[in-house]
Amino acid sequence: MPTPAKTGSILAAALALPGVVPSAQAQVTVPNATLIQFKYLYYKDYQENNGVTPGSSGDRMTVKSPALYLLAPISDSWVFEIGAVYDNITGASPYYHTVLSGASGEGVEDKRLAGDITVTKYFGRTAVSVRGAYSTEDDYRSIAGGFTLRHATPDQNTTFTIGIGYSSDDVFPQDGPVFTRTKNTLDGIAGITQVLSRNDVGQVNLYYANQSGYLTDPYKAIYGVDQRPDSRDQFALLVRWNHYFQSLNATLRSSYRYYHDDWEVDANTFTAEWGQELPEGFTLTPSARYTTQSAAFFYYDPVYDATLGAPFPPGYATNPNAFYTSDQRLSAFGGITLGVKLAKVFAEGWSVDGKAEYYEQRGDWRIGGDGSPGLQAFKAQLYQVGVNKKF
Amino acid sequence: MKRLIAVASALAFSVLLIGCETVQPWQKGNLAKPDMAFGPDPLQTRFEEHTYFSKEGASGGMNVGGGGCGCN
Amino acid sequence: MASHGEVRVYAPDETTARGWSDAAIAEVRRIETKYSRYRDDSVTTAINRAAGGGAISVDAETASLLDFAAELHAQSDGAFDLTSGVLRRAWDFKTGRVPAQTALDQLLPRVGWSKIEWHSPTLRLRAEMEIDFGGIGKEYAADRAAAVIVDVGGLHGLVNLGGDVRVIGPHADGQAWRIAVQDPRGEPGTTIAYLNVPHGAMATSGDYERYFEHEGRRYSHLLDPRTGWPVEHWRSVSVVAPLAIAAGACSTVAMLKPVDDALQFLQAQRVRYLAIDCAGRQYSM
Repeated sequence: MPTPAKTGSILAAALALPGVVPSAQAQVTVPNATLIQFKYLYYKDYQENNGVTPGSSGDRMTVKSPALYLLAPISDSWVFEIGAVYDNITGASPYYHTVLSGASGEGVEDKRLAGDITVTKYFGRTAVSVRGAYSTEDDYRSIAGGFTLRHATPDQNTTFTIGIGYSSDDVFPQDGPVFTRTKNTLDGIAGITQVLSRNDVGQVNLYYANQSGYLTDPYKAIYGVDQRPDSRDQFALLVRWNHYFQSLNATLRSSYRYYHDDWEVDANTFTAEWGQELPEGFTLTPSARYTTQSAAFFYYDPVYDATLGAPFPPGYATNPNAFYTSDQRLSAFGGITLGVKLAKVFAEGWSVDGKAEYYEQRGDWRIGGDGSPGLQAFKAQLYQVGVNKKF
Repeated sequence: MKRLIAVASALAFSVLLIGCETVQPWQKGNLAKPDMAFGPDPLQTRFEEHTYFSKEGASGGMNVGGGGCGCN
Repeated sequence: MASHGEVRVYAPDETTARGWSDAAIAEVRRIETKYSRYRDDSVTTAINRAAGGGAISVDAETASLLDFAAELHAQSDGAFDLTSGVLRRAWDFKTGRVPAQTALDQLLPRVGWSKIEWHSPTLRLRAEMEIDFGGIGKEYAADRAAAVIVDVGGLHGLVNLGGDVRVIGPHADGQAWRIAVQDPRGEPGTTIAYLNVPHGAMATSGDYERYFEHEGRRYSHLLDPRTGWPVEHWRSVSVVAPLAIAAGACSTVAMLKPVDDALQFLQAQRVRYLAIDCAGRQYSM
């Protein structure tokens, strides 16, 4: 009596063979290639002038960063990742609002070295990752760790992700009174990645973080007025979508992030990248980003106390222990980034890429509320060149 | 506000899970393209995440345990 | 794998096309070298040399192929059997002599997947038994070659290894590949039908590939491992399935089943097929 064949049983057995079907992205499967990346970033931000003297230089920070990344499957269930970056930072930074430290001859010079290791173990359709990170610079040290679990359904069309992380940072400014303070961050993420069609994959992530400890910018506290709460609760909802346009040989990667925290910073951020495949192994990727953010509740505009003068906010003398910040990063603004990247793939898994971006923040560009007035527009240029090898 | 985020998240998650066709393994050729990954260039993603973390008030959503810096 | 093979790809330019097909051909050669029973350094030879001795450990790729073979053996009631290669010693297709039953009786004890000890990753063969990957090697190579091209971005083309075809994707204009089915009783190269294959694979088993005729009966190379005698139910079975290795396994197993059982089997496997029975009647889905 012949064994009744289970429906599609031969195909099911054949699919168990490794390497016969394409290894789609957004799957929980061991990567089948080792990747080494080297990339160099040249970053420069600036504003119109130094905030004191019209016609002066508004140059702010310049950062030159070489960075390395390695992704290596070690066996058929272990994967190692290592990242390292060395930031060379020079320039001027605002004391308060957009008045630069350079105006009084003080500049910044710092070097930051950071590295991280992630080890992932695969158990069939489940992957467990443990990450450790370390960052050190003249006035700041951070030790962080994270644990992430990913699990895919049998058809590998749905992946669930949860993760938790912790960071313990020491702040020891090189200016002003000598002290060391700590800042601790606990964060968590939960997400779903879903294959939506042959040409679509989507992801939704919910993110929460709690920061506690010394959250103030020490230099702004010394040279300006900066007193921040000692805790911050942050939420973010990130939605991402990748779509492949078969007839155009192009990929559209887009994302939207809603952010909210208990400092009353609310932000909506949209990004889009269009990866256009071209002949001879080239890919051209223009990109755009728009963000709109509200100010922290303790941010004050560049209007100063009549008696005490800059940098003191009006009424400071009667309320010296309240929360205040003049940090442009916590003001209300809209920010636009435009970029373009060109990459070329060579034989034997080599590729090179170069990207140029321009980023500007302006109070006027805020949508959904008033932008903070009186600040110079923040401008930045980013240039990246990289070389990669896959094998 | 927290309730709004919870509702929006639940909605986003369910839309994701419901609105899709089952794609068979041998149909995933296009999904296997490197450009179809979220963050196809790991170092570029790191640089950009770090830049926006340093220059804006909002951050997060992609990973955990990243560690901080004194970036100005 | 001594048969004709070709790789056809549509690519943005000639250099890329050449690169892709070179990579695919290299993968086919790698598999051929690794599993060829004619090579001294192949995995097959190493396994067969160890027969009658201790257990040997195999690598991950070989283990997965053996797992697949074990699964197929179970699903086909023993019709699919990697150990059936020794039976070819009784059958001489050059001189065309029908062996005596005693010759087959001597070989049959040396055939039977259930007689080997396979516990991944260790394999133990009894003395005088042999493994032969010929029944799945070509189709596996076709799937792997196609996967290599898809991994580097190829979307249109096919890999054809001796008539087992794995499609990478339709023609550049979206048209399906029209793959010819050999007329089992015609001259080589004559077509009895075409199957449209936009995606997936097509494999054919036929009694015309190697055979001899004696006193009006055809004896083909497709032997039933349970009896040692060639099958007679079908002239050819062509199967279209998402993977070449699945299409090949389905066509091999169907060839060994009588008509009704074979059709039921193919329908349960949800594959398209064109099967031509011993009298020339066509059945298709």
